[in-house]
Order: sequence, then structure tokens, then C-alpha cells
Amino acid sequence: MTIGLSFIMGLVAASVSYFMLSLWWPVAIILGIAVWLAFGLFGLKMDSAFTLLSGAILVFCISLSVMIMRSSDQLSGLQYADTVDETGTEFRYPVPLLGNAPSGERVYRSHGCAACHTQHVTHEGVEFDIKALASEKNHSAVKEAVNRFYQVTGNPASGGIALGLPVGEWETVALGVSVSDAAKARGFLSSAGASVDVQVRFNGEDLEKDNFSNPDGRGWGKRRSVARDYLFVERPMLGSVRIGPDLSNVGTRLNRSTLMRLLLDPKSIRRNSKMPQHRFLFDVVKESNEKGIITIRNKDEQVFYKPTKEAEALVDYLLSLKSANYPLEEAPVYQPFTSSLPKPEEAKKEMEEKTGDEGSDTK
Amino acid sequence: MSSESKEGEANKDPRDVVDDSCKGPFLFLAFSAIIWLLVYSIFSMLSGVKVHSYGMMVDTAWLSYGRIQPASQLALQYGFLVQLGLAISAWILSHRGKTVLVDGGYLYFGGLIWNVGVTLGFVGILSGGISGLEGLQMPVHVIPILLTGYVLVGVSLVQTNNRRTDEQMSPAQWFLFTATLWLPWILGSAYLLIYYFKAKGVMANIVDWWFMQNFSKVYLTFIALGVCSHFFSLSNSYRLIGRGYALFAFWILLLFGSIGGVSLAAPVPAWLPALSTVTSVFYFIGIVSIWYVLYHMQNGASAEDNISLMRLGLIVFGVVSILNFLFAFPMMGKSAEFTTFGPSIELLFNLGFVGLVLLASFYYIFPHMVKFGLSPKITKIQNIIFILGFMIASLPSALGGLMSGDAVLGSGFYFSSVGDLFLVFASLLLFLNFLYAIIMSIKTCDCLSQLFSKEQAKEVEA
Repeated sequence: MTIGLSFIMGLVAASVSYFMLSLWWPVAIILGIAVWLAFGLFGLKMDSAFTLLSGAILVFCISLSVMIMRSSDQLSGLQYADTVDETGTEFRYPVPLLGNAPSGERVYRSHGCAACHTQHVTHEGVEFDIKALASEKNHSAVKEAVNRFYQVTGNPASGGIALGLPVGEWETVALGVSVSDAAKARGFLSSAGASVDVQVRFNGEDLEKDNFSNPDGRGWGKRRSVARDYLFVERPMLGSVRIGPDLSNVGTRLNRSTLMRLLLDPKSIRRNSKMPQHRFLFDVVKESNEKGIITIRNKDEQVFYKPTKEAEALVDYLLSLKSANYPLEEAPVYQPFTSSLPKPEEAKKEMEEKTGDEGSDTK
Repeated sequence: MSSESKEGEANKDPRDVVDDSCKGPFLFLAFSAIIWLLVYSIFSMLSGVKVHSYGMMVDTAWLSYGRIQPASQLALQYGFLVQLGLAISAWILSHRGKTVLVDGGYLYFGGLIWNVGVTLGFVGILSGGISGLEGLQMPVHVIPILLTGYVLVGVSLVQTNNRRTDEQMSPAQWFLFTATLWLPWILGSAYLLIYYFKAKGVMANIVDWWFMQNFSKVYLTFIALGVCSHFFSLSNSYRLIGRGYALFAFWILLLFGSIGGVSLAAPVPAWLPALSTVTSVFYFIGIVSIWYVLYHMQNGASAEDNISLMRLGLIVFGVVSILNFLFAFPMMGKSAEFTTFGPSIELLFNLGFVGLVLLASFYYIFPHMVKFGLSPKITKIQNIIFILGFMIASLPSALGGLMSGDAVLGSGFYFSSVGDLFLVFASLLLFLNFLYAIIMSIKTCDCLSQLFSKEQAKEVEA
């Protein structure tokens, strides 16, 4: 091996030791030099199976240590987290599968549903909007802070906002900025004595639709999926190809009868669906008297299908999937400006008025 | 033994003696591999039909798309690629080491157990025993069977390499020897981590991705590179160009091919996808290096059909490597995430590079084994159909995936079924061609008779 190539080998060995195996830097350098000398000066020829075997074992251990041991160390400490649902009720997340859902999970696994459906939601980015409130006392200091923020972020033209900054009113100072810029803005404004309000917006096709910040959203979750979502799942079926939609929160999107129909005859729900029928999960019956019977019109005759226990369990499992809906510390959901939210008393009044209106409409 | 036969044995070309020692195990493993290729192509076509033909085969759970698709992948990877790879590795390690195949019986026995494992895995998936993991779809009880089978085969290959009479090891031997060791290590580790130590939550997926990465980027790549390296140098009279570059490529590919494989959007700590991107870049440096060596080696190689097929395989490998390198970066990778692009490129790699290179070497070795080659006309036709098949099955689907995005099945998928149909014809032709050659060999010469004669077998071993 040429001296140049062996030097690169040494460099790679030192980098892997330092960055991937987190070895002390002098040790990494010594290892790098040892590899360089071995290949360059001593001309390691690899003519013995022992050399090859030793090297392969070393690489295998590095691979296991870097990918498996490290992730295991990090993930083994994951525990429950407190979160809130849509009604504001606090609960511990994630919730293990209950009732019939574990059997449904087995059905999902055994029919290979993961070949077409994923169970992890992604987001593309996060943006921050910032509002500031200046009083008469600190008005000029806040204006200066706004100007400074725009100069620091390399966008001085937008510093014009500072000129029209009102006194005693919330004013949007920055829209759609990154995490680091938001932190800078917050720092400048707070040190100038202004009150600061931050709105956090996530965007990405998978997330909920929002005409302003996420117009292409498909509503498959309120946030991205994280490792904690699968804390109790044995061999999570994450999937890698989406021939059909993601099912992370299908339990909040579809109801029991729609899911049953989707399994039996997907085209009756979506005409251009590519999902195959799962008729083997249903028994044909003669009468439609029982609850839960699905009727399919086949040319001129009607056929009645009764879901089997497997179908019932599968649907129970699907209805239990609501994972990407609740905020977590490592994966928050959309946070609006708190200053724009109605005050608790105002909200109560608004609610009462709304209920009254609806009541009169019904009458 | 009679004096005449002793004399005949002494006058025999050493290469023929080596061929004789490999004959039985090679034909057994190659025959099984070709049957699995046929099974793969039929089931792959069926899975495509399931998507297009609404209401077809909907009354039986055995034939649901979610079962047929992983079963076909198992047949392709473990049934076809691994077995043919083992057969060819056995032949190359014997020839390169200038020694007879040691403990050939292990190859029969191990191969048999491996086939039992693949069959149980295939039937297990069809009957609903899917693990839910992408790389290790087979039921849990199948993995120890596969492992046992492979270790038995591996014992023979490692022994053969250790008893080589030619001291110097060539790059072909490095690649094949390491690949032989690598598969049981990763299969055993993945099995222990997932099922014995009960890796919970996404940890099981991380182990699965790690296994998939190692299986494809190290095991299959090394097998194919080892085979290419051997045959290019063979037609160059064992002349090796750039041994230093080959050595550099070997370690870079081994190190960075064994780390990574986590997709950009995976719900895991952020450093894992970032690490995968970094290792993809370094892996590509190794690819460039080995490409340089193989390019120079093939320059002086002959224009035989099997060498041309290997050249095509290398071009496919180059294209796949460039795509993998580009799509490892978030900017490009996000557009391909969850689409049919990923599986299509994987298919192109499996059939267009590894499959094609292995088949090309099989065409070369087979006539040395049975003295009655495959029909050249049929071989030519089957090669054309095979190449068209994997091209049509993968490229439009990959392009369609990029254009349509996820959760939408583009029209590329229809083309892919046409490609699958081509692959069915190609594998059927290959199977019939192989069978015909074997039957004719038995009928016309005694070159296969020693497989059934204990006395002759003992002579060869001696």
C-alpha cells in the first residue's frame, strides 16, 4: 500500500476511534499512527487468515459498539412521560395496548400490513414566530433590540419593523425563524425588558393541515414520532414503504365501521384505493339481522359479511393507534401565541355564548 | 483401486481434481439456488398482481400481499443469493488456494439444513409467522436452523482456505473469506439481541437495520466483489492491478459498510441517521477505490459472455452506489423516503449486481463440473430476458416512486409486474436449461457417476 493510502487509513482509524468510539484523543492518535505504520511501513499483506480474522473481529466489535451498544445505552433509560389529551386531561404516556388490541396487533403482524403501511410520522422542520410587548419605559431599548436582532441574523432591511413598534400592544417581530434565531431574538428582547411570546409551528406533509403554516398536511399526526412512542411495543412495525397511508394515529381519524369496510372493500371508501380486499377476515352470512353485518352489492344480489374475531381484533388494534397526537418533551405539538389565546374568563364567556347560540339553533 | 485408475488420477490436471472435489456440493447448492430463484420470481409476480387486480385471491390469508411480498424476498436473498454465493465461494476458494474442497460433506449437510430453514421460513411467513421486522421477516425458530446450516457450510469453506497451498491470499479470497465469516456473526448477533436479550421498542428496529445494512453492504457486496475480482484476474492470468487500493477498499468497505442503515426520518436518536449519512460517504470512497481496481483488471480480461455479464453487473453496482451515496443526504433522501424508490434500488442491487455476477460465474463453472455445458442459445435468451426483467422490475418503479411520492402508487408499479413476468420466464429457462444439462451429462458421460460412487469419492478426497 502506498504511503498516501496508508496515511488515509491511519486518519480513518484515528477518526473512528475518537468520534465513534469516543476514545481519549491521544489514544486515538496513537491508534491512527499504528495503523499507518502497519499498512505503510511494515506493509501488512494480509496473507494469513489470522490477520484477516483478527481485523474482521475488531471491525465487528466496533460496529456493534458504535451502533447497538450506544443506542441501547441511550434508549434503555426511556420511561413514561406525563402528557395531556385533547380535553386537557393529564395522563401517563404511552399507554399499553388493552383489551382485544394485543390480539389485533398479532393479526396486523401476521398479515404483513407493515409491507404497505408505516407507523411513524415525520416532520420536515420547525419554525418560530415571535411577538414582543414594549412599555413606554423600555420602548426605545426594545426598538434597538429588534434592530440588533435583524443585524445579527443578517437581515437588516426587516429592521424597519422597529420603527412602527407600538407601545403597550403585542407586535410580531419575527416570522418563521429557526431555533437559533428564535433564541437570539428572545435573548435580545428579554434583556431590553420586553415581554416575549413565542409561537412554535411544525411543518411537514405528515402533520395536521394548517392553511397558514402547513397547507399540504395530511393529518397523520400532530407531531413527529419518537422512540418513546414505541416503549411497550415488542418489535415495532415501523414499515419503510407507504403504499397506503401511515397508521400512527388512524384511531383518531377513522371509526370502526369505516375500518371494517376498508378491510372488506377498500374501493367503497376510496375509489382509487390500491389496497387489496381482505375477504378472508369475514364470513358470508345469509341474513343482515345481526349487528355489525356489512352489505356489499355484487351485481344484482346483496352479500352479507360478518367480521370474524380476527377482523374485530384487528380493528380494535387500529382504533387504539393514537400515538403521534400527544405532546412530549422531545416532540412538542403546535404551540400558539399565549397572548393570542383568550383569557380563561373570556373563554368561559365565549363558550357559554356559543352553547346558547347552538341551543337556540336546535330549537 | 486398479493401477490404471491410479495412473489416470496421477495424470489428471490438478484443476480437474479440484473441480471434482467441488462438483457435488456445487451442483447441489446451485440447483437449490435456481429453484429458489424460480420461486422468488413467481411469488414476486403474484404480489404485483395482487396490487393491480382488485378482488383476485382475496379469500385466502396465505396469498395476502403482506405475506407474499416478504416470502418472495426471503426466497431471493436467503434461497437464491446466499446459496449460489456459497457454491461459487467454495469453488473459488478451492481454486485460488490450489487445494481440494475440504470436508465437502459439511457442504451437503449444511446446505440441506439451510434449505430446510429457508423452506420453513417461507412457509412460516405464508402461514402468518412474520416477525414484523424488515430484514428478519422469517419466524423466530427458523433463525437457529439457518445459522446451523450456514456454520456447517462455513466450516468447510474456512478449512479449505486454511489448507491452501498458495501462501499469498488474493483480494478475491479476502472478500469471500470475510463474507463467509460475516453472515453467521450478524445473523447470530441479531437473533440474540432481538429474541434472547429482548431488545424492546425501537431498539429491535435498530438491530434489524444494522443486520440489513451488514447483509447487503458487507455480505452480498463482498461475495459479488470477490467473484468479480477472481474472474477478472483469472482471464488476466492472475495478474492483480492495485493490490494496495484493493486492501484500502476492503477495510473501508468493511468498516463503513457495517455501520449505518438508519433512515433519515426514523424515530430514533438523531445521531443515528446522521451517522448513517457519514458512513455512506466513507463507504462510497471504498467503492471508488475498488471500482478503480476492478476497472483496470477488467481492461485486460477477455470478451467472453460471462465476463461481459460481470462488467454489466459492475456498471449496475456503480449506478446503485452513486444513487445510495446521493440519497444518503437529507436534501435528496427526503424526496425518496417511504416511496417505492428504496425497494426498487434494492432489487436492482440484488438482481442486477449480485445476482448477475453470481449467474455469470455459474455459467463459467458449470461446464467444468459436468462437461456438458448449458445450451448457449437458451443461455443467451435467458440472459437477455433476465437483464430486461430486473431493469423493468426496478427502474420505472424507482422513478415512479420519486415522481409520485409516498402513499401514492405510481404507474411504475405496473411496469414492475411486466419485469416480474420476464424474470419468471428467465428463471424457468435457467431451471430447464440446468436440468437438461444435468440429465444429458448423466446420459452421455460418466462425469456425474462418481457422485454416486463411494469408491470414486474416496479417491477424490484422498
